[in-house]
Amino acid sequence: MSEARKIPFRNPGWAGNTGEFDLTEAQVRGDEYVGKRPPEGGHASGASTYPYMLAERDPEAPIFDGPFKERLEKIRSRYPDARSALLPALGMAQELRGYLSPETMEQVAGLLDLSPAYVRGVATFYTMYNKRPVGRFLIQVCTNISCGICGGDDVLQAFLNNTETELGETSEDGNFTVIEAECLAGCGFPTTVQINSRYYENVMPKDVPEILERLKAQGE
Amino acid sequence: MSDQQTPNTVTFTLDGQEVTVPKGTTILRAAESIGIKIPHYCFHPGLSSPAMCRLCLVEVEGWPRMAPSCKETAQDGMVVFTNSELAQKQRTGVLEFYLVNHPLDCPICDQSGECDLQDYVFEEGREHGRGREPKRVLGRDDFGGDVLFNGDRCVMCTRCVRFMREVAEDERLCVVERGNRAVIDTFFEEGLEGSPYAGNIIDICPVGALISKDFLHKARAWDLDRTPSVCPSCSQGCNITLQVRDDLVQRLKPRENLEVNGWWMCDFGRHNYEWMNRTDRTEVPMVRGQEVGWADALGDLLQALKDAKESVKAVTWAHAPNEEMGLLSGLLAELGGGEVVYRSPRTEGEVPLPGFPLLARREDLAPNVNGAEIFGFRRVGDNNSQGGLDELAGHDGVLIVVGDPIEDYGEDFGSKAELYVYLGSYQSKTASNAHFVLPITTFAEQEGTYTNVQGRVQRFWPGVRSPASARPGWLILGALVAELTGTEAPVSADQAFAKIAEKTSEFGGITYRDLGPRGAVAGKPAGVSGD
Ligand code: SF4
Ligand code: SF4
Ligand code: FES
Ligand code: FES
Repeated sequence: MSEARKIPFRNPGWAGNTGEFDLTEAQVRGDEYVGKRPPEGGHASGASTYPYMLAERDPEAPIFDGPFKERLEKIRSRYPDARSALLPALGMAQELRGYLSPETMEQVAGLLDLSPAYVRGVATFYTMYNKRPVGRFLIQVCTNISCGICGGDDVLQAFLNNTETELGETSEDGNFTVIEAECLAGCGFPTTVQINSRYYENVMPKDVPEILERLKAQGE
Repeated sequence: MSDQQTPNTVTFTLDGQEVTVPKGTTILRAAESIGIKIPHYCFHPGLSSPAMCRLCLVEVEGWPRMAPSCKETAQDGMVVFTNSELAQKQRTGVLEFYLVNHPLDCPICDQSGECDLQDYVFEEGREHGRGREPKRVLGRDDFGGDVLFNGDRCVMCTRCVRFMREVAEDERLCVVERGNRAVIDTFFEEGLEGSPYAGNIIDICPVGALISKDFLHKARAWDLDRTPSVCPSCSQGCNITLQVRDDLVQRLKPRENLEVNGWWMCDFGRHNYEWMNRTDRTEVPMVRGQEVGWADALGDLLQALKDAKESVKAVTWAHAPNEEMGLLSGLLAELGGGEVVYRSPRTEGEVPLPGFPLLARREDLAPNVNGAEIFGFRRVGDNNSQGGLDELAGHDGVLIVVGDPIEDYGEDFGSKAELYVYLGSYQSKTASNAHFVLPITTFAEQEGTYTNVQGRVQRFWPGVRSPASARPGWLILGALVAELTGTEAPVSADQAFAKIAEKTSEFGGITYRDLGPRGAVAGKPAGVSGD
């Protein structure tokens, strides 16, 4: 029996404990999920049937305190200059606060001894950093080529209708923000939707209400 | 050319011409050296080359794709075409993309007439755009200081961002967002306020995206006369161009000189030009309150100087050119000696440009302090160029004022003088007792030289016509010295310089011809500003 078979499951959303991140599997995947996934693993396309990360977010959270400080130090120690640690640092800031406000960018700049303008340039270059507050669930619907020809735009519309929001706007209950994404590299399974750190694949407009219901239940 | 080849050079073929350049020279620079201009935006000799604008691509024989000439170095035997059908087609195509979102508002754009986008499209662009889609609109942003940003005109060359990062070392600009939404901005409301060199981004912006508030809609580029000059605002002596319309200086721009200021100048110097347009000028020679012609004025003055019995004292300022100072010194020597004092504004602390260490806004806020020191003048007065002349004010011998309008003294200045000669460009109440008021031209109106903080003698040229019968100070002083010594009077600035160089070891052996447009450090060969 090969080594791989001994591992109970492999999930693209969880890279295992690399020693750099202090979040536990339960924190990343949600308590309900731990141990519930079929041992045979399964293709990522099955992921939509499972719960997914629901990260703690507090826009006021102290930045890089305690374990986060250690993480930052560890990351910094890997690079010859502070500039290189900027992407992970911004990622961590977003993990903590949910989005990168101007104040957050300035704080990160200060910590890494970079200019705030440079940090802003980097933060705005990457679409995966949120520059505005988003709902607890950030729903990114792919409308690029494969998903587009398979009805990605309709899926997007369905999410917007069902959450009663406009593109990029957060629903009144603070749960959902729907945005359009370019290719999520799940082209074989259109339409691909990324919700927080999890992929939903083969999504059709008719699936949308149910997905949202389950998300809501998660969020409570 | 290939016979000049050494192990440190390469020889290649550029548009059918054989070119030999030092190893490591980029194709773009090699082309420049033989007068072939390859269109480009992102490349600037004073900045790093990101090779991102894709306008400078050239065809290289045998290469599978075109090469960015700003980054690709010339190699032995390379055969490069900058103007082949492919290269032209490429540029036409790239330019079409540049116009996709460009507002084409040249008629109201200050860059019009000196715009790289306008020029390139005029030469090689498509006659008609094919875009049918609405254009993206970004609008304008006040970056603070003198800088206004017009986002729609930007070609995203990032020269401005790189200048702030690499040269000013004050990274306040960034590209926000990307792709179609990309726009240059500062950190939200931070702006460029307080950055002492930010004005340079206006110069290096190849289009009208960064424009000067001071110059906004003041003049069209093609109406300006451009005259090489030297910044008179500090002893660094940045090489500049006076840009003049209707005899009024409209703006100053830096002029390349790798030994002094590179391609840059400071905002303080850049914006300190309004005084060049002062209208309270002395216009005609006056002898004891009477307007007279120059010949009579000089004749009278010569006689008066010969008749004078008492000692001579003179005052000048650090704005006076070398020629004026040197001949003033010569005049005093002929009159039996006497001290010359000078005044110059000064401030605490230099303002360096970190990315170009030769350049700093110096503490002496006048161009020719070094000249004054070379001629042995004694500095008086405070840091605002005020005071220090009490002794002269009441001097009862011969009093000579050259240049300095002495605005901080009262009407009784020189009232006791046996003979008071005022050679100045500006009317001043302290000239009211002067027996001779002789109008002289300002630095902007004459030819001359300054000696900068490095001891570099640099020429400037007349960019503005002088009012009525003002004459260069050296012409007047030179005529007096010549009469007193029975020699030939200098009739051009270079003769005046030659005259002082004879007597001043610091200037020994250099002539205007040696100085050329970029000056030379006295005692060293002419500065060849290679790049
Ligand atoms: S503002 Fe001007 S210099 Fe800056 S990127 Fe745009 S075109 Fe280039
Ligand atoms: S550094 Fe001095 S010489 Fe240069 S632009 Fe500024 S004031 Fe003028
Ligand atoms: S096109 Fe949607 S994932 Fe690639
Ligand atoms: S100048 Fe070469 S790519 Fe811009």
